Amino acid sequence: MSEWLASYENVVALVLLNGILGIAAYLMLIVNRFSLATGGLMAIGAYVSVLATMNFGVPFALTLVLGGVTAAVMALLLGAPVLRIEGDYFALATLAFTEIVRIIALNWESVTGGALGIVGIPTETQIWQLALALAALTAAVFAVHRSAAGRVLAAIRGDEMAAAAIGIDVARARLLTFVASGAICGVAGAFAGHLNFFIGPSDFGMIRSIDAIVYAVFGGLGGVLGPVVGALVYTVLPEMLRFSAQAREILLSLVIILAVLFMPRGLISLNLPLRRWLPRRRGQRGKLAAGQGVAAE
Amino acid sequence: MSVFLQQTVNGLSLGSAYAVFAVGFTLLFGVLNVLNLAQGAVFMVGAFTGLELVRLVELPLPLAFLVAMVTAGAVSVLTQVAVFGPLERRGGHRWMGLIASLAVARLLVAIAQEVFGTQVLRYPSEPWMEASWTIAGVQIQGLQLIVLATALLVMAALAVLLRATQTGRAIRTMAFNPNVARLVGVPVQRMTLLTYFIAGALAGAAGVQLGVLYNAVSPFMGETILLKGLTVLILGGLGHVPGAALAGLLLGLTEVYSVGYLSSSFRDAVGFGLVFIILLVRPHGLFGLTTRQRA
Repeated sequence: MSEWLASYENVVALVLLNGILGIAAYLMLIVNRFSLATGGLMAIGAYVSVLATMNFGVPFALTLVLGGVTAAVMALLLGAPVLRIEGDYFALATLAFTEIVRIIALNWESVTGGALGIVGIPTETQIWQLALALAALTAAVFAVHRSAAGRVLAAIRGDEMAAAAIGIDVARARLLTFVASGAICGVAGAFAGHLNFFIGPSDFGMIRSIDAIVYAVFGGLGGVLGPVVGALVYTVLPEMLRFSAQAREILLSLVIILAVLFMPRGLISLNLPLRRWLPRRRGQRGKLAAGQGVAAE
Repeated sequence: MSVFLQQTVNGLSLGSAYAVFAVGFTLLFGVLNVLNLAQGAVFMVGAFTGLELVRLVELPLPLAFLVAMVTAGAVSVLTQVAVFGPLERRGGHRWMGLIASLAVARLLVAIAQEVFGTQVLRYPSEPWMEASWTIAGVQIQGLQLIVLATALLVMAALAVLLRATQTGRAIRTMAFNPNVARLVGVPVQRMTLLTYFIAGALAGAAGVQLGVLYNAVSPFMGETILLKGLTVLILGGLGHVPGAALAGLLLGLTEVYSVGYLSSSFRDAVGFGLVFIILLVRPHGLFGLTTRQRA
């Protein structure tokens, strides 16, 4: 077991990290926003925390907080104007944000090291820390879903106009969600920054944002476990197809296309035998079905 | 002054190729309300088709250009028939369409890598490409003129098709409202395929143009142009075809000027900065019109 874990340590770390990012994307998707800001916010968290480590010797735990807070503030500044925009336009505005962050990281050589990135970062991130963070995050989102705030989010997801009509401040709720999602991306960035010896601008581009959304949609938007399952399958699958780099890309893209066509509610909608063994609370079935109905709309 | 004129010449030839790509991209958005992120990959398919026809089959470049357009158009139609059409019939969420188009792009890039490898390939040089004239201190290359001329020709042909033919009227009716189009007897399915074909052919044309202009063809060349296409889509007014043509030229000029007067490294930031500001200030684009004036 420990031998297996050692040889696949990097994959396990990636699964956990991607699970965290998947939840960040999931939070935005359930308030009806296709956010491509994930990569940019993650980059901010990564660079801020790594620079804090390298230049000021700040303890790792503090750099995580620093990365999260900086990204959250950035999300607040970005979200206040941008969240007003809807649909594809919002996606494009957040894409522009992520690309601008990447271009700044690429060209501000005195601070970010430019295209060569920053090397020789102490690798502080441990698997157990990632696992703990993912578990805590999952539990927190699960708790939110069951609270009054969760009902506000569900109402926005179901019908924004109706939600506004019953007195919900949709804009405020959405901004708070964006800030929370930004904080998660920032912490994930800080973890990612201290995972290997190196970070560079191309680690956090548009692809990162899109992959995060794919985890969430691929896994299913019916609940917080969707993005986690999606990240697991979508990260492990390429490792199993390692025999050829190109065949891997071809197969992976075919898997996404087929999944989009035939599993529009995501992996967790599959009636796996496992699900029958899970304890099911009364009324949960109806709730899940309703949530998924909105997701598939 | 001559530096400025030189930049203008360079910007116009670059921008005209951007415009060709962006017009196809915008047409899909305006007519079918589809944000097809696989357009960049279709552009790459066009560039490779043109290249291989010139290199291996030794077709003359103009002929290769036309065949590349048709091939790219056919690939675009194929993606509609195989993926986007079925997805729409299943009533997939809009996000699913975005994700599917990204997956299609990834698939095409992976196939191109498998077939052509990852190294950068070049169009063989021809005498007229090397030719250049110097007028009042401004150097004009034969290549730049050809790119500009073909771009204008392709866009003029599209304008005639959209404005002066029955088919064009049908397409514009669909842009106005697909249900109305169906009611008045427009063959919606056929026109949808035709729109995908036109968009793909335009992407393929731009692929050959930029492949020749930059003298570089690689499986990953679609990513940059896709980002430019998105920029132009927004600058031009989201679905407004003449706006996209103008915005494409404008983007080419802006990029070249910013390289000339600011710094080459921030060239791409200029485009995205513009996008960001325009989305905030004028969410319907610089030349933004209401939906009824689309296409």
